[in-house]
Order: sequence, then C-alpha cells, then structure tokens
Amino acid sequence: MPSHVPHSSGLQRLIAQLAPLLIVCAVVFALPVLLNNDFLLNKVARYLVLGILTISLGLSWGFGGILNLGQAMSFGLGSYAMAMTLKLKTVPVHTGASGLPDFMVWNNVAHLPWFWEPFRSLSFAIAAGLIGPALVAAALGWFMFRGRVTGVYVSIITLATMVVINLVIIDQQSYTGGFNGITDLAQLELFGVAFDAYGRATYYLVASCVLLSLLVAFAFTKSKAGLIVQAIRDHESRVRYFGYDVALYQIFVFALSAAIAGLAGMLYTVVMEFASPTFLGVQLSLSVVVWCAVGGRQSLVGAFLGAVLVAGMQGALSESAAFLETWTLVMGALFVLVVLFLPKGLAGLAQAALRWTVQRRQAAGRDVAQGVGQTEGST
Amino acid sequence: MDQFIEQIVTGLSIGSILLLVALGLSIIYGSMGIINLAHGEFVMLGAYAAWVFHTYLGLGLLASLVPIFLVVAAFGWVIERFVLSLLNNRPLDTILATWGVGIMLQQAVRLMVGSELRYVQLPPALSDSMDVFGIPVSSYRVFLFVVSIALFGATWLLMNRTTVGMKLRAIIQDRSVAASFGINAKRVYALTFAYGAGLAGLAGALVSPLKSVSPDMGTGYVVDAFMVVVLGGVQSLAGTVASAFILGELSGGIAFLQNDTVAKAIVLLAIVVLIRFRPEGLFTARVRA
Repeated sequence: MPSHVPHSSGLQRLIAQLAPLLIVCAVVFALPVLLNNDFLLNKVARYLVLGILTISLGLSWGFGGILNLGQAMSFGLGSYAMAMTLKLKTVPVHTGASGLPDFMVWNNVAHLPWFWEPFRSLSFAIAAGLIGPALVAAALGWFMFRGRVTGVYVSIITLATMVVINLVIIDQQSYTGGFNGITDLAQLELFGVAFDAYGRATYYLVASCVLLSLLVAFAFTKSKAGLIVQAIRDHESRVRYFGYDVALYQIFVFALSAAIAGLAGMLYTVVMEFASPTFLGVQLSLSVVVWCAVGGRQSLVGAFLGAVLVAGMQGALSESAAFLETWTLVMGALFVLVVLFLPKGLAGLAQAALRWTVQRRQAAGRDVAQGVGQTEGST
Repeated sequence: MDQFIEQIVTGLSIGSILLLVALGLSIIYGSMGIINLAHGEFVMLGAYAAWVFHTYLGLGLLASLVPIFLVVAAFGWVIERFVLSLLNNRPLDTILATWGVGIMLQQAVRLMVGSELRYVQLPPALSDSMDVFGIPVSSYRVFLFVVSIALFGATWLLMNRTTVGMKLRAIIQDRSVAASFGINAKRVYALTFAYGAGLAGLAGALVSPLKSVSPDMGTGYVVDAFMVVVLGGVQSLAGTVASAFILGELSGGIAFLQNDTVAKAIVLLAIVVLIRFRPEGLFTARVRA
C-alpha cells in the first residue's frame, strides 16, 4: 500500500519523526518537578546516562550494522578521563604529597606520571573524554574495516580489545588505581556551577546531554553519510560497487558512537562519584546490547528508553536480592524472546501498533466515505 | 633444563583443558556457524552435574561421566530445537540468543543451588602423582591429557567415519542439495548441537576437581574456547588441537616470564591481530546454510 498520509511534506515528516524524541526529552526535563527526592533523582540520572550509552550503541549497531561488544570501552575511557581530572582537583589532605593522588602515594609513586599531567586542566580532560575514545575507535575501526573484517569478527575483536584495556588498567595499579578504580573525587565545576552528584544541576546537565546526544544521533541518521552507513548495513558490497569508500563511513560511525559513549562515561563519573574498571567490563558491555535490543536497535529513542526502563527496573528490584535474581532470569527470557520474535525491539512493536491504528482509522474513514457515496448513488 | 620441561608440561596441562572446552565449541561453530555464548554455561552445567551426582547419588566422577554427557546434551538439544533453529540466516542474532540462554541457565542454577562455591572430589585412583620426564605431575592432569586426546579422536571418527558425520558434512557443503537427497538437516543440526553441548558438559565435569564450581564459572571458559577456535581456524578439528596446545604453552610461558594478566592480554592481542591478517576462512562470516 502506498503512503497512507497522502499530502505529507518533508517538513511534516521530519516533525513526525522528531516528535517521540522531543516528547521523551520533555518528560526527562519535567521529571524533577514531580520527583522531589534528591536520592531518587541521582538514580534516575544514572539510568539516563546509561541511556546515552545505549544510544551510542544503537548508532553503530542498529544503523551501522556494527555489533560492538566492547562499547563499554569508550564509556570507561570517558569515565577515567573525568575521574583523573577531578582527582587532581581534590585537596591533598590525606596524602601530604603535593597534588599526588592518594593511591599513587600508597603505591610509592614519587612523581605524577606524564600522562596525568595534562589532566590538571578540566577543558583538556573534557576534550580527552570525547576525542580520546573517538580516536581509539577510529584507530581500531581503521584496523578492522580496512581489512574488511565483518560480522562476528568485529564483535570478537571489539570485545577482546576492551578486555585487554580492562586488564591493563587493573594491572597498572600504581597509575590507574587498579581494581579499586579512582575514588574520592572533587566536584565538577563548570562555568561557576558546582555539580553535586545529588543536586538538580547535575540532573539537568545529564538531561541536556540526553537531548544533545539524541539530536546529534538523529541528525546523523538523516544526513547523507548516515544514509550511506545504513545502506552499507543492508548491502555492503553493493555500496562498494557504487564507488563509496565503505571503510571510511564505517570508521566514522564507529568513532561518532565512541565519542557519545565517552560523553556518557564522563557523566557517569560525575553522577557516581568514582571510576572503576567495571565501567569497561564485559558485564556492562553486554548489558548495553540487551538494553539496545529490547528497546529497539533501529530506533534511537527506543534504545534510550530500553536502557532507562530495563536498568531502572533492575535498580528498583535490587533492594531485595531474591527479586533481583528472579528478575535476571526473567530478563534473560525476555531478551531471548525479543531476539527471536521482535528483531526491532519494543520500538518496532510500538511502530507496528501505531501503523495498525492509523490504517484502521483510514479504512474506517474509507468505509464511511463509500457508504456516503452509495447512499448518494441510490437516491 | 628441569624448569624448561616443567614449563612444557604445565603448558600441555593448560592446553588439554583448553582442548576439552573448545572441542564442543569448534564442532558447533565450525559446522553450524553459531557463535554459542552459552557454551560456558554448558561447561558449568557439567560441573554442577558432577557435583549433584557425587553429593546426592554418591557416584564417583568417572562413573558419572556418561550420564553427565547425556544430561547436558539433552539441554543442548532442547535449546537448538526451540531457540536456535528459529534463527536461520541470522548469525549475529545467535550470539544474542545464546547469550540470553546463558544468563537464564546461570541464573536458574544460582536460584536452585545457590551461588556458594562447590567442590568436587578427585577420583581416589587418580589423586597421586606420577613421573613424566623426571618431573612429578599429578596423575589427574595426565588423565585429562589422555582424555582430551581420546575425545578429539572420537569426534574425528564421528565426523569422518560415520553416517551422521557424513550427513553433517554434506549439509555444511550445501544444505539444499543435501536436503534434496533426503537428509533431515534440522535433525542433524539438533544432534550436532547436542553433541557439542555434551562435550562441554564433559569438560566441565572433568575440570571440576581442579577448580571450584560456581554459577558464573563458564564466562572465563567461553572466551578462552573462542580464542582456541578462532586461532585454529573454523571447521578444522586438527587446527583446534594444535591451537589449544599452542595457546596453552604460550600462556604458560608468558605467565612464567611475566604474570597471568600480561599473559592474558598478550594472547588476546595476538588473536586480534591474527583475526585481522589471516585471510579467508577466518574472515568470511559464515551464514547457516
């Protein structure tokens, strides 16, 4: 059946596509008015950050067809960049040594290592948290996509790379805080505003980043490059025969996705008040894939909501251990069912429902029109 | 010199465990193109089965090997039948589905028997040690080495000298042509998956006396097993054997020179580079035909 809305202009269609995105963001911004509880607000902010991370995966997996099982790598790098700079902003009360992080003192490190030095500047750290993961991803992407590595091998390489970085961070305890991560951080201060993890300011910062990430990702998927990336997902060799440099587009979407994940990582440090090797762990990385699949890998808003809802549910149930364990079982089953029967996730289900109602209504409208026509004809 | 031989023997021991775990995965991945992330959970099920048989039925480890194989194979059969056979031509989704199945198995075990560590006794007949090239080695490790080679032999015979194996190889080459000759591809696939799962269960049972048994013990094994299969090359049983022992010697050696973490990181990096530069066969993402 051709398009069911006969006279929709490009602008109208754009508004229709943006509507769910803007509605979700409006709810996110309005939430503090309803939720008058700083503790709860902090929790919600945490889920929103995980939502941003899942948007980033949706971009590379749903739109680029690149199943990155190491998405948490970029997240972790961003998180550490923020933690390093905030650590250097702490007043060295416990250590005595001038400006040296406490865990370095405990590990008998006498001088601040050279790669910590630039993190004295907050702007450098923020740039590093965005560009660092993007550069790492671009390098990895160049390594993989120039060699035409595809499918499951991309997944294995990304997973293995993340595990290596994770191992190195845990192993180099004197420079990275090792297994404990980087704790006891100063508060982030940006343009004279202090971002307390439990404050409204932090919540609104996270909410703005949700809006920003969704808009950037949305704009990309509508751009020419974004369309080519989707074409590559659907038929790689056909796009190559058209003369496009397939690897270049793949590297770009891979790096963009990493930068968004890095942003999420930085926010996560601000919200959680520490950085830990688990932030780039296999567990988190695979959870992101679940959230993305459940929410809908080919819908940015769907991926975001999938993360917020599933992670939020898990958080809400985690008060009781028995509940949480059962929930994990149910989650596993739900995930398998979604993979089997709903490849487009809940977002796909919602779209199908919407289309069905629209068609029903149109069919009903046609019936009425026909009925009117018949009665006119008979008179 | 003694130290060198000791190192070699340690490597062989690590390698035989790797081979045990990777053999089932190699069959499943090589013939069906399924990335089975639940493989580690099959290993875990095997280990728990050994524990259950021992604690509740008083069966020794050696006596319970056959029932363990059958039990875990049955799990594998059910999973292939009701989950994976629905995912024809969606190889990436098999990763996700098997991972979800893995979570469920892990969580079900945790709910039923708790997450405490469990221990399985060494078979009394194999609890002493023996001399290998003048080095004292635990008899059980020698036993594992022999069993892993024997299982490899059995698998090779099954693939190359039996009707089922021949049917499977026909399906791998061309599913539709094989089907037109009256081969029931679905049934052969289900059997293959069950066999691979059963092998994983055996591996779990056999390593259970050496390591503690816990619901999440499989996670480490699946990564290692994958590395073995990827290094050895898809569809090559002999390659799997070679790479299991190469990786065993490598990680044993680097761990001796540096430490376990560095060994693991270096082996992983080597595999990443290998995937990138080893051409066809490794790179063509195979679709279930």
